[in-house]
Amino acid sequence: MEEDKSKSENPLKVNRRHFFSQLSVGIGSLALGSLLIPDLFKGGPKPLASQPLGIPHFAPKAKRVIYLFQSGAPSQLESFDYKPTLAKRMGEDLPDSVRNGQRLTGMTAGQDKFPLMPSAAKFAQHGKSGAWVSEFFPHIAKIADDICIVKSMHTEAINHDPAITFFQTGSQQSGRPSMGSWMSYGLGSENQNLPSFVVLTSRGKGNSQGLYSKLWSSGFLDSKHQGVLLRSGKDPVLYLNDPDGISRSDKRHLLDHVSSLNKLHHIETGDDEIESRIAQYEMAYRMQMSVPDVMDIKKEPESIIKLYGEDSQVPGTYAANCLQARRLAENGVRFIQLYHQGWDQHGNLPNEMAGQAKDVDQASAALILDLKQRGMLEDTLVIWGGEFGRTNYCQGNFDPKNYGRDHHPRAFSIWMAGGGIKPGITFGETDEFGYNIVKNPVHINDFHATIMNNLGLDHEQLTYKYQGRRFRLTDVAGNVIKDIIT
Amino acid sequence: MESSVPDFVLFIGRFHPLVVHLPIGFLFFAFILELYSHWKKHSAHSMAIEFALLAGAISAAVASVLGYMLSLSGDYDVSTLDTHFWFGTVTTIVTFFAWAIRSGKIDIGKFNVLKSKIAALTLVVVLVSVTGHYGGNLTHGSDYLVKYAPFGRTEKVVLPSIEHLGEATVYDYLVNPILDDKCIGCHNSSKKKGGLSLQDSTAIMRGGKNGDALIAGNAQKSELIRRTMLDPHHDDFMPPEGKTPLTEEEKSILSFWIEKGNADFKVAMADLEAPEEIISIASLMLGLEDKTGKSGIAMPIVDEVGTEVLKDIVAAGFKVRELVYGANVYEIVLPSKSVSSEKGDGLDVKLQKLLPIKNNILWLSLKDNFVQDRHMETIGQFKNLQKLEVEKNPITDAGVGYIASNESLTGLNLYQTQITASSFDIFAKMKALERVYVWGTTITEDQVANFQAYGEGPTIILGM
Repeated sequence: MEEDKSKSENPLKVNRRHFFSQLSVGIGSLALGSLLIPDLFKGGPKPLASQPLGIPHFAPKAKRVIYLFQSGAPSQLESFDYKPTLAKRMGEDLPDSVRNGQRLTGMTAGQDKFPLMPSAAKFAQHGKSGAWVSEFFPHIAKIADDICIVKSMHTEAINHDPAITFFQTGSQQSGRPSMGSWMSYGLGSENQNLPSFVVLTSRGKGNSQGLYSKLWSSGFLDSKHQGVLLRSGKDPVLYLNDPDGISRSDKRHLLDHVSSLNKLHHIETGDDEIESRIAQYEMAYRMQMSVPDVMDIKKEPESIIKLYGEDSQVPGTYAANCLQARRLAENGVRFIQLYHQGWDQHGNLPNEMAGQAKDVDQASAALILDLKQRGMLEDTLVIWGGEFGRTNYCQGNFDPKNYGRDHHPRAFSIWMAGGGIKPGITFGETDEFGYNIVKNPVHINDFHATIMNNLGLDHEQLTYKYQGRRFRLTDVAGNVIKDIIT
Repeated sequence: MESSVPDFVLFIGRFHPLVVHLPIGFLFFAFILELYSHWKKHSAHSMAIEFALLAGAISAAVASVLGYMLSLSGDYDVSTLDTHFWFGTVTTIVTFFAWAIRSGKIDIGKFNVLKSKIAALTLVVVLVSVTGHYGGNLTHGSDYLVKYAPFGRTEKVVLPSIEHLGEATVYDYLVNPILDDKCIGCHNSSKKKGGLSLQDSTAIMRGGKNGDALIAGNAQKSELIRRTMLDPHHDDFMPPEGKTPLTEEEKSILSFWIEKGNADFKVAMADLEAPEEIISIASLMLGLEDKTGKSGIAMPIVDEVGTEVLKDIVAAGFKVRELVYGANVYEIVLPSKSVSSEKGDGLDVKLQKLLPIKNNILWLSLKDNFVQDRHMETIGQFKNLQKLEVEKNPITDAGVGYIASNESLTGLNLYQTQITASSFDIFAKMKALERVYVWGTTITEDQVANFQAYGEGPTIILGM
């Protein structure tokens, strides 16, 4: 009675449904149910939605994801989408028939002309597959036969924040759970001593855009699915180390006591987030032991450091993060999210982009090679890409040596590797201007659906009910791109 | 063959199913009242019966005319239609007579008046019932009434049961059941909407009023498919409003048959190169185990595993993950360095715990746990294993030999083990093997190049 009373006073646990489920409604409502839902009492396989969490809906090809996010949106025209027409028609105005009413950002909306600008970087074909890769990415060019380049990504957002939020959460407005949180929710954790979703950030010298923790937030999902940001340097996780004078057993006693108080509070209020809180304290305690070990890259042999480049020895660089990503993957982290900032080249593109590419090229390729030699590319899906593309016309002064490109949502390139993605193929095509997709478009929802598919999750079945409706990462859209799956 | 009947006539004709229920109601009412009035006499009864008979007769006449109009559409089987038509006409005439007798317009006083009234009405009711039955057969198909009857059910042609999808003839096992479920209600030998019957191969090939139902090899141009693919609000959409539309899966089976199977009525699954999706749908339709899984990974059929057994395995230090919901297949991981003895002592006991589920393990990882050759002998019994990670262990060629007979392994990780190029011959024998990882062994690039030059066997992946 006592407990019931306090619960009824607490709005968190008791809602209309809770109320009805407590009524003894009897057989009549069951019969009604069977009329309304004809299959209710039928035998046979249960609908997927009623499946317990943590079990794939169908045979998975991958069990983890490493997402190398290039924040700021690297230009597809200087990386993977080779467009010789831009050189032939250099300086000509982008025909209206091609632009076709595309809205512009405030940065180029005032421009009178949209002169076509060719790539400052030279292109060549690489590997058996003959994939076009620019000279900015010599190492990625060498792994052309291990990756699948998608040239036909498109999005609706034209500014960074909605665009990156869209990629990470499936919605342009913030508040939804991040991809990594959905995977953690759908697949569960593999290593009890580490979070199942880890975030690492780095920053290049190029013009950069902000990163906010909302991008790895668990949204309305249980907070244990939240991405954990590991910092570079001595303390990967702040406040994880015990203060001086506190021993590990003291810490244990403290946690046990706090936990028993929290449990009492949970009984009182019925708020499930309290249980998550208890679990998080325990996770942090275990991470005190596991994280320093995983993050210690000094154990890596010389050959591996050479593979990733000298930068991999400098904490906080993209190269170091790539190496960390591999170590985290080996230790059972489900979703490892890297961000490298500095890809927003509105001006000075040739120089800045060359610098950015130098930051990421060797280490990105090294990660693929390293995973491959360890046999981990079998079940690790690696993704490399930004939040949208860049315009085929020049922003600012028309100078082929020092130009800029504005945001372009209609077509851009990303690549994926391993984890059930076909290696050595190029998927999708843009028109000769590199402006519109002419073949095999891949929307962000499709991209999400495909990744989930390879992890064994049906994007239409993995849902979470919140505020009266069921939410999915792909919301109400998304098709699995079967042509890029092995 | 365009119908020469004016649209207006066909439009009016379509009211036949509506009007036809009026005489049925009136006449049954008259009959029941007649019986009742013998038991309890009342002057009003006589009037009511008379009126009901007249109303029945008139409505029957109207229904007959409308029915004739409807029949002009040519959608119906001629012989059943004939019977229905004549029974309808006779019913109408007899009803008029019954009314005439009842109201005294015709005097048949020589006979017992009381009995003749009953006799005429009984005849009317029998006629109405027979007419109605034939009408029903025209609309719903001749087996509509008895389809679910507990007696005298006409045995359906039972297809021999099959074990492998390849044996299934596409039409008999996959296409026909779909047509039977969704189309044949209106396109059968007695009710041919649009002049089309889909009852059997001859009828299908004959096509309908709008031409061929299908064009072999071209699903898009085949009416049978085209109409199901239209916008549901389109006039030509099939099945029409109110009927259950075809599911995406059903449409893809039909398309597959017409496109890849060239609409051949004899072609079997084994003769065709079926995409994963089709194999998956077809397996489900035939109740066969889906050999591909939804993502194209072959799934063995295995027994359920008890929770106690799983608890035991977890207690031994393994991580257990159900790999596909409801398929009883598992991924088993022994975390690195769970075994501390260099001789691999302790691992033997652990592996014994896995034996009860040896057929249920699809993925197994024992990396960095001092796995010895003798342990590989135990692993050799896990016949459904698809991925095996035993890297960073002191395994030699002899150990690899123990798993040589495995026919489902696709990925084998042996990096940083003590194997040599002698294992290549074993790899070549393993049927399903696609990739072997041998970085950090004594195996050299030349040895790999030599082996791969044969073009057979798995890809051997070395490191940097």
